[in-house]
Amino acid sequence: MDGVTSEDWIDNARMIVDSARAIVPADGALDRIRATRFKEPGFDRAVMAEAGELGLFLMRVPEEDGGLGLGMREVCELARVLGGGLLPEPVLPAMMAASLLGPDLPEESMTGALVLTLAWQDATGDLGWQGGAADGRLSGRKVAVPGAEGAHLFAVTTSQGVALLPRDTVTITSANTLDGGKSSAITFDARADLIPCDHIQAVLQDASLAQSAYLLGLSERALDITLDYLRIRTQFDRPIGSFQALQHRATGMKISLELSRAAIFATARRFDTGADAMARARGAARCKLRAAELAMLVSREAVQMHGAMGITDEADIGLFIRKAMTEANVFGTPRALRAQLAQILDQ
Amino acid sequence: MKDLPDFNTMSDADFRALAREFVETNYPDIPRYSLSRLHWDVVKPWYLILSDHGWICPTWPREYGGMGLAAGKHLILIEEFERFGAARVNDIGPVMLGPLLLKYGTDEQKAHYLPRILSGQDVWAQGYSEPGAGSDLAAVRCEAVLDGEEWVINGQKTWCTLGMDANWIFILARTDKSVKKQAGISFLLVPMDAPGVSIRNIENLELEAEFCEVFFDNVRVPAGNIVGGVNNGWTAAKALLGHERVFIGAPRLSAAAMARLEKIARRAGIWQDPVFRDRFVALQCDLADLGDLFETYVDKLRGGQAIGADVSMLKIFQSELYQRISELMMEVAAEGSGLTNPPEGDRQLHAAATYLSARPTTIFGGSTEIMRNMLAKAVLELPS
Repeated sequence: MDGVTSEDWIDNARMIVDSARAIVPADGALDRIRATRFKEPGFDRAVMAEAGELGLFLMRVPEEDGGLGLGMREVCELARVLGGGLLPEPVLPAMMAASLLGPDLPEESMTGALVLTLAWQDATGDLGWQGGAADGRLSGRKVAVPGAEGAHLFAVTTSQGVALLPRDTVTITSANTLDGGKSSAITFDARADLIPCDHIQAVLQDASLAQSAYLLGLSERALDITLDYLRIRTQFDRPIGSFQALQHRATGMKISLELSRAAIFATARRFDTGADAMARARGAARCKLRAAELAMLVSREAVQMHGAMGITDEADIGLFIRKAMTEANVFGTPRALRAQLAQILDQ
Repeated sequence: MKDLPDFNTMSDADFRALAREFVETNYPDIPRYSLSRLHWDVVKPWYLILSDHGWICPTWPREYGGMGLAAGKHLILIEEFERFGAARVNDIGPVMLGPLLLKYGTDEQKAHYLPRILSGQDVWAQGYSEPGAGSDLAAVRCEAVLDGEEWVINGQKTWCTLGMDANWIFILARTDKSVKKQAGISFLLVPMDAPGVSIRNIENLELEAEFCEVFFDNVRVPAGNIVGGVNNGWTAAKALLGHERVFIGAPRLSAAAMARLEKIARRAGIWQDPVFRDRFVALQCDLADLGDLFETYVDKLRGGQAIGADVSMLKIFQSELYQRISELMMEVAAEGSGLTNPPEGDRQLHAAATYLSARPTTIFGGSTEIMRNMLAKAVLELPS
């Protein structure tokens, strides 16, 4: 452990999590999430504004640039809470975009008055992020942009730096996602200033780790709901949670969950205390692999264990499997991540 | 007794270097990287060298002749010995009985037995399991009846690891049949050469006699050979399992197997094969995640926190991962997987040896199925 700083991060994390309760209800009620589904623009801008006021977008901006300068452990604690609440707002993308922009982050995005999101991915199923660069102009396409329909500004990654594109310079093509939101591609061909940025890869690794923590939070909550159901639902005059077949499968979910939690927070600690590029690449990839597997495992087992109730839209557990399916492959499919790891095997 | 320094005040890096140098300098001319446990006649020189240097009982307090290592330092010692491929010595005395005597033994028992473990004069076997009491350990039937100043023991113990090499055995015996099954058990110390003790070796799947059965036919031991009080054996036996449960889930078996898998794949010419690599990196990620989970428990030990029932998750995942690695090894070894002897005499290239040695890990120390039952009730709080 790292002495004093470990105490600091625990205090910081507690503070962040407490403040996040303003946007994720402590009672766990998912009414707002249901009400936001399948409505334009797929999330609530007022909640983004609240997240901005809480300072969440500034967590990864260094203190000298006016940010909070917090570590990935704090971010992962926050992401867990957001995941547990199935929050549809692009809080994490906005935070990561702010981390890329640093001193160039517009004031209105800090406060959440304008919604900023992150556009990094060149093609679906691909981990490339360098497309779209040109001298003085930016032209190209980015896919799987979160929250695009409700965003005012897009932080676009390129091989020559980051560009900040206003909404009226991009064309948005959206598809509906299973969780009731939108996944969008944006195309652009506009004059743009490129902000030199030497830490794009690192920020994308942070983002991938934060995504893993979101999936962890989602899975924790889905498992809790399922365990509660196993305790109270009776069949053959016994609670179904007393059946060994279900108990053993539940322990499989729990083991995957604890592996994921341990991997994410150990990796976050390494990120915070200075991991080298290779360790960062490996850590981010394997946390994402585990978390995707976890979320898919727990959510489909949860549906099965809820029996016929599990396949109805009125049961909350359905919200979790739809969210897991929407989020599991973001920041890399397991196949793409394993391919990336296989490439660095001999290095 | 050796006057050892307090190793815990050293930095982890310094202690690691010291442990590495120790094993490299002192390891005798006996096999390394053995997948099966070596018998006493082979491994004895290593035991005695460890004993001479005061390194035979890493976790015992220094005032009793141990190294007094904290959990984190102990782990480093294990890692460095594993990295070198040092053979595991007969450690039931150092690892199991010693700590139990330190906690529950009388002053006389400590003064008599502990030095004899340290010196290698006594080699201990463990007698917990019986044919009808494996994972359901509390079902032991082996009986001890007090007759004057002596316990009279009748019954059978099984799965006694390297019991044929031991001159003493500790057993759980039923001393009261009228109470709840956990409440009527006592912990007894029995010399293997006592009249009425007999042994039968059990060959395992690797055709090696690593275990034996021990039979007790009116075996008499003094009343003072009981540890922890009459009918208190269950509590004493369970108390042993704290730290050991963490180490049984350590990633070292799987880590060593991954290194062997790589060697086998290179030899088979498929190290660069993308399909193989996909499966290899998946296992590598599992191993790294296990390492991080293991560290969370080591941190707890370092911080003096108690280890709960949830630690069995480590053992379940470790043993299943070890088996999955061995399964890929068998596939990669192709037709060579069915050979009796390792190809080109290199034990590390012998997939079948790892495959077979991985089988018992989901059985011993509480089977995976029993551990899942316990987890479901104690950790997930699911109903009975």
